[in-house]
Formats: sequence, structure tokens, C-alpha cells
Amino acid sequence: MEKLASLIIIIGTFLWLFSILVLEGRWQWQMFSALVLTVGIFTAHFWEELRDTDDTEE
Amino acid sequence: MARERVSQADEWQAWAQRYDIEGGIRTFESGLTVKVFFGALFVGLLMMPGAIYLNFVSGQSGAEAAPWVAVILFTELARRSFTTARRQELYMLLSLTGAAVGSGLQYRSFIWYAYFVNTPQAASYEIADKIPAWIVPAGDSVGVLTRSLLHPDWFLPIAVYLAGKLLGTLRFVSGQYILFRLTADLERLPYPMAPITAQGATALAETTGKEETWRWRVFSIGSMAGLIWGFLYIGVPSLTGVMMSQPIQILKIPWIDFTQSIESFAPTGVFALRTDFGQMLYGFVLPFPIIMTEFVTAMASQFILNPQILYRYEVLHQWSPGLDVRAVGLFNNLDFWMSYGLGKSFSLALVGIAASVPMLIKLRKSQKKAGERGSFGTPPNRGDFPIWLMGIMWLIGMGGFIWLIHWMVPNFPLSFLLGFAFLYTPINSYITARTYGVLGRDLFEIPYLHEITFILSRYEEVDIWFAPLPDEDYGRGTQGWRVLELTGTTFTSNLAGTLLIMPILLVCGIIVLHFIWKIAPVPSAQYPFAQMMWPINATNECLWKTSLRDGNSEMLQAIRGDYVSAGFTSSLAIYGILWVFKLPSMWFYGIIGGIGADPGSMVARLLGAIIGRFYMIKRFGMRRWYMFNPVLAAGFICGVGLIGMGTVAIALVSKAVIVKPF
Repeated sequence: MEKLASLIIIIGTFLWLFSILVLEGRWQWQMFSALVLTVGIFTAHFWEELRDTDDTEE
Repeated sequence: MARERVSQADEWQAWAQRYDIEGGIRTFESGLTVKVFFGALFVGLLMMPGAIYLNFVSGQSGAEAAPWVAVILFTELARRSFTTARRQELYMLLSLTGAAVGSGLQYRSFIWYAYFVNTPQAASYEIADKIPAWIVPAGDSVGVLTRSLLHPDWFLPIAVYLAGKLLGTLRFVSGQYILFRLTADLERLPYPMAPITAQGATALAETTGKEETWRWRVFSIGSMAGLIWGFLYIGVPSLTGVMMSQPIQILKIPWIDFTQSIESFAPTGVFALRTDFGQMLYGFVLPFPIIMTEFVTAMASQFILNPQILYRYEVLHQWSPGLDVRAVGLFNNLDFWMSYGLGKSFSLALVGIAASVPMLIKLRKSQKKAGERGSFGTPPNRGDFPIWLMGIMWLIGMGGFIWLIHWMVPNFPLSFLLGFAFLYTPINSYITARTYGVLGRDLFEIPYLHEITFILSRYEEVDIWFAPLPDEDYGRGTQGWRVLELTGTTFTSNLAGTLLIMPILLVCGIIVLHFIWKIAPVPSAQYPFAQMMWPINATNECLWKTSLRDGNSEMLQAIRGDYVSAGFTSSLAIYGILWVFKLPSMWFYGIIGGIGADPGSMVARLLGAIIGRFYMIKRFGMRRWYMFNPVLAAGFICGVGLIGMGTVAIALVSKAVIVKPF
């Protein structure tokens, strides 16, 4: 799940750079990148916190 | 070698633990005694006026210094009297003094609006005659022209203020208490930053005992440094201001502007060196990674991003050569940075939620396992209040407040006020209480909330901009209750102290402001900071208050969707990339704090951070240095405060005596 979160974040970042450099920074594309990044960041934090709980339970 | 991943909560709490050098105590005593009462009287009569005066002179309120000054004098009195001061008493005094100084600065708005109503800016934006009578009397009224707060013209603004203050006390005491019970008792959140405040009171309480500890030595070193610096920075301008028409400033207050010097190679860049080198002490205390990343990002913003990208691609288009830091800052804000900042703030809210939701789930899991949380049980003798009583107090306070606002702006839709009061405020406060409980700081803030509300309400009168709205945040105040618990101070004594000091401050504040205003107009040469900043603040206030007029708003036109999106998305990308590469999340807060900011304002803090990191830690060791620096900082602000208060007293007396020769 850590790799998945990293992958989503990297895709979101590239999407944002693409929207700035190629799509003239249109807000719709930027917000789409933000959505992807948000999913990645939530995934990252859920993995981070719940990973520790799982470790403790074991 | 792969870097080990550390969760955000663990990272922040590891930092907090560096300062937490002893556990909290669990025996509770009253902090309110006759001695503290006289200390509070001292506060009301001396500290608050000094803080107001300092604010006009140097832009510093002394709000942080004043409580320490009161406490250090109190402990000295105790030592000379061969008696001891308990930490509960000292914390109570610290808390009451903080409240006193804060209250003093709230009264400042009377003077500000008395100035604002007669500014050319208010006249040219056609709002001077539309400022409500419950904020300030008319610009040509006797009360304003003769600079007299005791004139009957001021009765209405002062009465409205007092009513708001009373209702506010009801709401804030009850709201904070309920949230404290929820987060600290029910959910047992750690409040990692609370022990730092408790340390100061402990350090000083120890000095009145028979044995002196390292704390007193460190505190004294800090105080002496503060005395020297305070004399140079505040004392000399204040004392020479008494004798000369133009005060002598050894270091120009508040900054030395290099903006025009850098414009040849960094057009649109700003660099104004902030001369308050007391900020170095904050550099000692604050986490090093935040300060470093903040400074590096600010430098990159002003020397690369602004001139080489944003200016080159005409995003920053209002700049012209020869402007100073204030003008360049204003134009850059209107062109880009205000919009970017809006998006940046939204990203902070989102990152906060993303970090706290999984923490909440994790806490609930461990709560069930440990069986310790989920109980409203309170420690014995803490002086708790019934929750239902606090609930009723909050309802009365909020109900009265809404009625007051409705009376001020009767045509503003009531539904918005009710929504703010009973929906937004509880949610916002709970989120903030949680972030304080876990991270020791606020992460959630919806920017431009008032502006958005006014647009949605379709209310176009200017008076709404002057009315308070019930969008409040009780969350940050919950930490104060936790500090009370850590210092073993009963809650009842704290509440009694708050109620006791309030009438003293209300009376003193009005009289002293009247007196200070009578001495010289504000702003004027006697008050250099106000003279420099208030005109630009008046322009900004006019821009905001007319921003929704006729749908033609300079401010709202300055907010562009693509730049807001850029701020939001780029901040999320920075956060995400830092996470991917397992870099500290603190860097994110440093980068976000530094982007678009003036690096000159950070130089002193950076120096402090570098000295702390590369000399002090090597000299004393990590643990000892983190034991020392909060106490050192407390001593320093105490020393500066002593000088500030002393010179203010001399200046006030001199100016009161030498008004006119005949």
C-alpha cells in the first residue's frame, strides 16, 4: 500500500506539472491533479497509521 | 541505505518530548490567593498600558513579555519577603497577565477606527460616513476631534464592546471547557506542547525555594541578554523620543529595506531586514528544520520565483522600479500571492484532515484495547464543572451574541448567523482542539470565510464588515486547560481569577487608552510603528471593505481561480513528494510558511537556529540544550519586557508632565 500511495502521489504531481506547462495552468486540470494527490495523501496516512496498529496487535 | 519512515504524529511528538523534561503532577491546589490578587492588580495598572504603548511605538505588544515580567517581579517579592510562591500561583499570575495584555490590545480598535474614520482613504472609498456608530463616533464628533474616550460620544461603542466582552467570556470559558473534557478526558489526547508553558512557571517557582537550580541561572542569563537588547532596541528610541522631536533609532524600527537595492537583479523581489534580533531566541526554540526550509524557500521565492518566472511571464505585472517593500508586497499580493495563499491555506486544512482522520481511527482502536479512554471521569479535586451548566452558559452566551449582532446589522440574514454559531463554530472548534491535542498546533482554517459568506448572503451594506460574526474557535484554548492540569491548578480558581480580573481590566483599559491618546495623536512621530504601518493598513482595510461593492471588487478580482488552484495543488504535491521520499513533514510546514514570504523577516530566527544547532547543542548536548532554551527564551522576553515597561513608564510620566510650556 505504501508503493501504491507513492505511485498515486507521483502521478498526481506529474499531472499538475503537465497542466501548468502544457495546459496553460487551467484550474480544472489543476484541480483534477489535486484530487489525485488527495487520494494519494489519504492513502499514505491511512497506511502509515494503521500499519502501526497492525504491528502492535501482532 | 533506505530511510526509515516516521509517521507525522510520531515526528511531532518526538520534538515535543525534547522539551518535556518532567511529567505532569496530579495534586490540585487553588492558584488564587490574596498575593495573586495583588499581582493581578499590578498587571491591570501597569502592564496593559505598557503593552498598548509599545504596540504603537514598535509594533510589538510585549504580550509575551508582560506575563513573565509580572511573574519575575512576583517571585522576587516572595524571595525578599522570605516566603515561597507555589507553581499554581505563578501559573495563575502568568495566565491572568496574558489575559490582561490581550484585553489591552483589543481596546486598540477604538483608536484605530478614530484614525480610520478621518483618513483620506476612507473618504475616497466613500465609507467614512458609513462606519456604524457602534464602532466609532462620526469623524467630526467632539469625542474623536478632542481625542477623548471619556466623552459621551464614545458611550455606544464602549457599551457594545462591554456587552460583547461579557458574552464572549461566557462562550469561551464554557466552549473551551466542554472541548477539553471531550479531547483530554474522554479521548485522552496527549497535548504535546502544553508542558512547555508549564515549565516556565515551574522554573520560577523553584527560585523562591531554599535551593536554586539550573533554571534560575539560565533564566538570569536570558534576562540579562534581554535587558541589553531591550535597552538598545526599545529603550533608546523611547527615551530619546521624550526629549527630541525625532527619536534616535540605533537600529531602524521595524526593518531596513533593501528592496530597491535588489531590484536590478531581482525585480519584484522583496528583502527588508527585520531588525528585531530578539527573534533569535525563537530560532533557538523552534524546530531547526522548519526555520531552515522556511528561509531557503523564502529566498528562492524572492530571488528566483518572483523575478525569473512570475515577473518574466507577466504574472506579476503591476511592479515598477523604485517601489519600497510595502508597495512591492501589496502589488505582488494583488497580482499573484493572495490567490496562491488562499489555495495554500486550503491545502493545510486538507493535509490536517488527512493526518488526523487515520489518527482518530487508530486512537479509537487502541482505546478499546487499553480500556482507558471513553470515560468522562475526572481526577479528584481538579475543580471541574457540570457539563450541563457549561452547556447552558454557552447557549446563553451564543444566543445573546447573535441577538447583539442582529441588532447591529438587522438586515443581514439571520440564518447565516445561526449557521456560523451552531454548525461551523462547534465543528471548527472540535477539529482545532483535536489538532492541538495531537500536534500542538492549528491546522484547520477556511480562509476568506467572511468574504464568501457576504457574497452568498447578497448583503451589500458596508456595516457588516464592522460587525463581529459568530465564527469562533475554542479549540486552541483547550491547551490552556491542559496546562492548568499539568501545573496542578484547580479549574475553579482559574475561573474565579478570570472573573476577578475582568472588571479591573475593563476600567483600566479605557482610562489608559484615553490618557495615551491625549498625549499625542496616533499615528504621529511619537509612535513610529503606527506612523509607518497605519496608512497602508487603512488602504488595505478600504480595499477589503469595498471589495464586494457593485460586484466590482479589486480584492476579489485579484483572486484568480487558476492561481488558487496552483497554490492548492502545488502545496499538496510538495507534501506528497516529501512523503514519498520519506522526508520530515516539518519541511512541508517550513516550505509553506516560506513560499512568497520576505526572507529578511527571517534572518534573526535563522541565526538563532544555526547558533543553537551548530554551537549550543555541541556545547551543552541535545538534552540539556532543549532543557535550557525554553527557560532562556522566557528569561530573554522577561528582560526585554522589563526594559520596555520601564522606558514606557518614564516616557508616559515625561509626556504627561511636559505637554506644553505655557
